[in-house]
Amino acid sequence: MTQPSTTRGVEHHGVGIDLRFGSNAVRLAAAQWLVAGAIFAAFMLLAPTLWEKTEPFSPGPDYRIPYSLSSDYWLYSRWAGAAASSDKMPVIGDSVVWGQYVAADQTLSHYLNRETGGEQFANLGLDGTHPAALAGLVEYYGGDIAGRRVLLHCNLLWTASKRHDLQEHKEFRFNHPALVPQFVPEIPCYTENLSRRLGIVIERRLTFAAWADHLRVAYLDQKDLAAWTMQHPYDNPLEAMRPNLLQTDSPPQHDGAPWTERGIQRQSFAWVELDGSLQWRCFRRIVEILRERGNEVFVLVGPFNEHMLDDANRPVYAERKRAAEAWLRENGIPCLAPEALPSRLYADASHPLAEGYALLAKRLLEDKSFGDWAAPRPSGKH
Amino acid sequence: MLFHTWTFALFFAVVYPVYRLTKGTRFELWWLLAASYVFYGSWNPLYLLIIIYGTLADYLIVVGMEKVGRKKWWLAGSVVSNIGLLAFFKYAHFIRNNLNALLAYAGIPYGLPSPDGAAAYTWPLTDGINWLLGQAGIAPYPHAESFLLPVGISFFTFQSMSYIIDCYRGQVERERSLLRYAVYVSLFTQLVAGPIERASNLLMQLRRDRPIAREDITDGLSLFLVGLFKKIALADYLSLYVDKVYGAPAEHHGPALALATFAFAWQIYFDFSGYTDMARGIARMMGLRLMLNFNNPYLADSLGDFWRRWHISLSTWFRDYVYIPLGGNRKGEFNTYRNMVLTMVISGIWHGAAWTFLIWGALHAAGRLATRALEQSPFYRDRVPRIVKQCGVFAFVCFAWIFFRAASLGDAWLIITRIFTSGWADPLFPMLALGMVLAVWIYEFFYESKARWIVEWTPVRVALAVLMGVYIAVFAAASSQPFIYFQF
Repeated sequence: MTQPSTTRGVEHHGVGIDLRFGSNAVRLAAAQWLVAGAIFAAFMLLAPTLWEKTEPFSPGPDYRIPYSLSSDYWLYSRWAGAAASSDKMPVIGDSVVWGQYVAADQTLSHYLNRETGGEQFANLGLDGTHPAALAGLVEYYGGDIAGRRVLLHCNLLWTASKRHDLQEHKEFRFNHPALVPQFVPEIPCYTENLSRRLGIVIERRLTFAAWADHLRVAYLDQKDLAAWTMQHPYDNPLEAMRPNLLQTDSPPQHDGAPWTERGIQRQSFAWVELDGSLQWRCFRRIVEILRERGNEVFVLVGPFNEHMLDDANRPVYAERKRAAEAWLRENGIPCLAPEALPSRLYADASHPLAEGYALLAKRLLEDKSFGDWAAPRPSGKH
Repeated sequence: MLFHTWTFALFFAVVYPVYRLTKGTRFELWWLLAASYVFYGSWNPLYLLIIIYGTLADYLIVVGMEKVGRKKWWLAGSVVSNIGLLAFFKYAHFIRNNLNALLAYAGIPYGLPSPDGAAAYTWPLTDGINWLLGQAGIAPYPHAESFLLPVGISFFTFQSMSYIIDCYRGQVERERSLLRYAVYVSLFTQLVAGPIERASNLLMQLRRDRPIAREDITDGLSLFLVGLFKKIALADYLSLYVDKVYGAPAEHHGPALALATFAFAWQIYFDFSGYTDMARGIARMMGLRLMLNFNNPYLADSLGDFWRRWHISLSTWFRDYVYIPLGGNRKGEFNTYRNMVLTMVISGIWHGAAWTFLIWGALHAAGRLATRALEQSPFYRDRVPRIVKQCGVFAFVCFAWIFFRAASLGDAWLIITRIFTSGWADPLFPMLALGMVLAVWIYEFFYESKARWIVEWTPVRVALAVLMGVYIAVFAAASSQPFIYFQF
């Protein structure tokens, strides 16, 4: 290996022009760059795997990603892998699946498991994952569930207005921007700069980058190291990053009160036509991705809290629901679009309370198409 | 388009292969110029008009010098053109505000209008550019509400002036190709924050067709990595503390203000030298060698030494084009000191249109006046340990940085008084940041000592490269801060 000297190559052009290599730069020759690159690449490849082996992660029967780790996609990927390896059927969706107003043992997957007397269903819901984000989550971090049966929730709330549908031109900060399409289809209200978008596109293809984010989200209060040390100037960051993963936490709102007691008024939404809806397009993309990966998909549409809608608005929602159902059936995807649950079983426009989830699970299991879809397969396929 | 962003990575990923393909052909310079204008226009396409004007004017002035004669007049025209650009874009507000304050003080009921009003004249141009961008599906630029300070204007005007003055002095041959001259002025590697190149270096390299060697690539990568680490891991880190404390000096006690000043000294060094390292690294990968701009300035053992190590391309510019023409040290003690003071004060105001920068320059001038004789004395030279001198210089430089960083003279004074009078309160300065700065300082001490072999030992260099890469990849912030010196 050659050893370049930092003073080699001193040249002077003109008067007083110093062209020395550098005053303190770490100068590497080609062979040394290869060694450094190899070590760096090995670290990038091995660090996430080694970390996974040392970080305790034991998802129990009603495990769901802790609320405070909602942006930890590496953990999501890990949970998806764990669910797949234990032959569970993932239930995928936003906070309706995750269980925004209920405890971990009061969610849809919990009641499905309870009714079927096993641990077949895994809660792979994630708070705030509107379809545009959910498509990214499934595409980049849900690869391990390929070939499984997947219960996919379709929440039409995301088409309830241009704002929900991310179609307003005014800047709007929505959840999970790192999961949405960065360039195509264009999201009018998403105004992130080009550099950040390019970074997102590159980083979400790198396991290493997701792992680095995991460290930030799970151990450094969702901050980068520098910002964390500003909050904890005298603490040792290595101590803070000792593998000790948060296993569970509570949702921010879990008082269990129905929407009528929480001061929510009846509303009229400016529903977007499904044909022109960005969120619906993304939802269809989720279905496509799953089918391309060999997943057998069952879609649960709603049930939306129709009691919250004005009389004039209810038929509009019903029309959207029919259109969604029609598309699913046309494309050979088994689905169920159940009637709304009783009003008192909703916490808001789309989130059921615990009793609502229990009833929904019952309705699902009573549905023949769901029963066929969920029935044990002789081949052992899940 | 900042060097440490993905946008630049994409830009360079397109520019570099085409540059390699066109190198040595007649398309090489056209490609470099196109790339440089895209790079500069990415801030605001209107800026291109300024750089094109500056390039054409200076190119034609040198043609005039050669063809018409009366060189002094042409030189004066160039100085008026370049300083006029700077005065208009950079100092108009400062001059207007101070004149208005003087008029008000004198009881004259008249005020000069704000130059921002002139911004409206650029709107039709912006509309035209936006129409073109709209055809390509690119978001429009907003109309300028105030007068824009073109990024890096102080750098490219000085670089252009150095060419004119060198041609005037007969030290550099006139560049016959307008294209090559345009590339010399606008080359994207050092366009917005230097180093302020000289025609005798960069223009000469653009004339030669030197092939790119493997060492150019490896050295370029080495420089870029160090620069990236300085910027992302160190400068942006320290800025969190500095911005917090300097943003509200009245809310912080002496220890925090002192540590923020210490942190700013390192922040600006890492930020600016990091940019320079990246600029030099990119240029080096393209087979071009830009001049050294920083040489471990915080190891300086005198203020003169500091200015030979800090922003070398600017200090040598002022030395060659201001200090020496004023007479340098050739016309007696008084004139030497006068020339030093003038040069330092002009250097201060070059950094920004504010009294704080002027005071910063004046402080350095005063420091040099006060210490020049001392530095030449046998006692200081031979008996005072070097580390003591280095600490003294560093402390003075830090003190002067207070004026450079403070938002106003009032803030600067408040910070100084609070440092000494406000008593103790926990500064909450991150130990990790302190440790990283001290590690760099120690590295530099090693680098300039007999133990330099340790930091040049292959395993150490490879380990440092890996550590810097891992730190950037795992711990660096996702968001990026602009470079401090872009505003100058």
